[in-house]
Amino acid sequence: MEGKVIHRFSKRFSKKAFFENLILNILRISTYLVILFAGFIFLDIGINGSKAIFKSQAPFINTDFLTQKPETLHVFEPKHIDKKLKEINAKILSTNIENKNLSNLAIEDSKKNDLLIKSLQAKYHVLDKQRKEERLLFSDTEFRALEIKPSKSEYVYETYAYSGGGIGPAIIGTCLLVLGSIAIALSLGVLCAIYLSEYSRPGKVLQIIRLSILNLSGVPSIVFGLFGFGMFVLFFGWGVSMIAGWFTLAIMALPVIISASEESMRSIPKGFREGSLALGASKWTAIRTNVLPYALPGILTSSIMGIARVAGETAPIMFTAAFALRDQLPWEGLEKASDFIFQGVMALPYHIYVVSSKIPQNEYTENMQYGSAFVFLFIVGFFAISSIVLRIRVRKKYKW
Amino acid sequence: MSLDIQVKPAEAGSKVLPPEVIKIRNLDFSYGESQALFDISMDVYEKEVTAFIGPSGCGKSTFLRCFNRMNDLIDIAKIKSGTIKISDVDIYDEEIDVIELRKHVGMVFQKSNPFPKSIYDNIAYGMRIQGIKKSSELDSTVESCLKSAALWGEVKDRLNESALGLSGGQQQRLCIARALAVKPKILLMDEPCSALDPIATAKVEELIHELKKNYTIVVVTHNMQQAARVSDRTAFFYLGRLIEYGPTEQIFMNPENSQTEAYVSGRFG
Amino acid sequence: MKRYFHKELNDLKNKLILLGEKSNEIARLAMDGLLENDIEKVNKAAGMDDYLDDLEQEISYACIRYISLRAPVSSDLRLIFVALKASRDFERIGDEAHSITRKSSKILINDGKLSEQFNLQEMSNLACQLIKDAISCFVEEDLEKAFAVLKKDREIDTINQKHFELISDISMQEKISDPTRFNTLLISKSIERMGDHAKNIAREVIFLLSKE
Repeated sequence: MEGKVIHRFSKRFSKKAFFENLILNILRISTYLVILFAGFIFLDIGINGSKAIFKSQAPFINTDFLTQKPETLHVFEPKHIDKKLKEINAKILSTNIENKNLSNLAIEDSKKNDLLIKSLQAKYHVLDKQRKEERLLFSDTEFRALEIKPSKSEYVYETYAYSGGGIGPAIIGTCLLVLGSIAIALSLGVLCAIYLSEYSRPGKVLQIIRLSILNLSGVPSIVFGLFGFGMFVLFFGWGVSMIAGWFTLAIMALPVIISASEESMRSIPKGFREGSLALGASKWTAIRTNVLPYALPGILTSSIMGIARVAGETAPIMFTAAFALRDQLPWEGLEKASDFIFQGVMALPYHIYVVSSKIPQNEYTENMQYGSAFVFLFIVGFFAISSIVLRIRVRKKYKW
Repeated sequence: MSLDIQVKPAEAGSKVLPPEVIKIRNLDFSYGESQALFDISMDVYEKEVTAFIGPSGCGKSTFLRCFNRMNDLIDIAKIKSGTIKISDVDIYDEEIDVIELRKHVGMVFQKSNPFPKSIYDNIAYGMRIQGIKKSSELDSTVESCLKSAALWGEVKDRLNESALGLSGGQQQRLCIARALAVKPKILLMDEPCSALDPIATAKVEELIHELKKNYTIVVVTHNMQQAARVSDRTAFFYLGRLIEYGPTEQIFMNPENSQTEAYVSGRFG
Repeated sequence: MKRYFHKELNDLKNKLILLGEKSNEIARLAMDGLLENDIEKVNKAAGMDDYLDDLEQEISYACIRYISLRAPVSSDLRLIFVALKASRDFERIGDEAHSITRKSSKILINDGKLSEQFNLQEMSNLACQLIKDAISCFVEEDLEKAFAVLKKDREIDTINQKHFELISDISMQEKISDPTRFNTLLISKSIERMGDHAKNIAREVIFLLSKE
């Protein structure tokens, strides 16, 4: 403290200030941790997923992956490399075991073994790269079209379900499901919100209704799935179909939409309503001209956000709308127009679920999982961003 | 020096009363269990400015809102007894079309509430919801309303700009112009100047004075001086009762009731 | 910005000027009646007093009304107070004129003439001029004229002073009855009072214009 004059206001150590600092840093660290985790997840999906979606040649986007149907992957691996790889693998294993058996005293030997393993691993990587270059991959259709199949003497032949082709139908199915449920949930939700916030009489009944709507959003998604299955699929007899999925998703999103719409309608100044009523507008006219337009940005944003989150759910569509595999695109092979909504579709969340838990895992399915997840993330992000853009647009038009 | 200036004693101008436009008889009004207005009877005269003064919560705004049935918006608000007649029609009759009533009795609110639309659309709103779409008709009404609200000169070059770009006083005059567009006979003003600065207030007061020629105006105000300046008649409310009602001069210069006296002289409470 | 109620101030101003004119007229009539031996003018002057009183009442009502309804400040408020006080002064001028008329009629009935030595003619001219000046300095908002009125008033005072000194001489030399002599003196005193009122008005105009 030399050279510093201590006066009434100079800084001193105090317990209070210390705790203040401590709490601040705890808060800061937890926030950074959350960001770190989220960033890691997104980075992981992004890096691994982009392997499936992007490629190094001209269009840079693997359009096949985005458009083709999922197919069984036929893999031919060069036999000579495969053999060598297996040998190296065996050697690494045995060295490892040897290493473990060595006593602590034999430091020299252990070091030697470590070096051996390292060199073997390096060799393995080189060969593995070579294998990846020389191997032949065929999707189902390609495989059938082949005139001369690779000889079994040169190649090791294996097939992997779901790992070939692309996720085209799943993308389309997801988009259809989201759009349909947006339409249903938005119209139902907004109508309900208008009634609740503008027409209904405040009182106990309204409070109970509000509370139960809010509680609805806490119901687990699998319950919604079961409900949709029982109600739409079985009771209404719609079968596993897009429309059953729409309604299930819509009902799941309703609580969010209703409360968000109500909130944004209530945030419209009372003066707008009174102003137009005093000019001789009927109640509906006042709402139509002076409440809804200004509440729209809020309604749209929160609703689409809500839907986008719900669209990510696997459980509600698992029983109601999603097929694990469907060859045809939704508009193919329809007998009559109404069939369109009564057909099941593939959906990305369900597809991810299937490829990651229903079939044996290997390097080929991993590609498919991450690719699907990446695309799915992208779609959900797209809906979210479009809702924000929409909000900004509408907001600009109706600003107060 | 001219000696031929006509001088009339101040009392001489009084007074053949103009016809009554609003007749209120024994009005009792309540919000649910709590009664807000007690046994109010008064007449509002044609083409005069009638001011309601009184401390906050004395029921003057509630009373004003009875005239165009704005209180209908509040579920628990109810007229318990008594009648309000406008042009000899009981406006709380079941046969009354509230929309027509509100067209006849325009209202301007405490907080200027222009819609977030263009100036033009704000004024045309009242006509558009009536189904008038002809642009020539809309144009001429917008112009005449803005002119009678003394706003035309200030905004004629930016009719298509947002009304929210106007200053507070201009917004309030815009709201008055908007109310005029549906051609009312009576204008209710609920503290029209409470959020305005003195200059804007003065402009609105000038406007009220100007509009008096063609409209019957009822204005609620917290500002006693404003009531004194703009009104022909003043009613003093206290705790939901009409304490005194009479020509403004009488209320401010020589009130009969001691409560009125205390209130106007600032000795209240 | 000109407010609609500023018109009321103008009305008030006009009324005040009218009152001034009328008080000037009544003073002139009363004096002329006396000096010209014209009983009709005297009577006419006597009849105008009520009108003046009414006008003064009206002005003070208007002032109070303006204060209570319009909450005037600064120059408006000064004008109101000036109007209140000046109207009172004008009305007092009227009153003085009225008392002159009463005395005049007595003089006219008793003797029918005045003492030669009283300089009433000049005095009344001066007084009327003073009143006129007081009015015009108000109308024209002329500060210098107002100060001039203050000066001129002294002349009237001097003449009045002289009259007091004269009174004993007159009784010796002329054949004029005692009541007339005293009445004449009182008239002189009244004219002097009129001058004082004019001076007061000028002072109020100075207050109005110079804010002092």
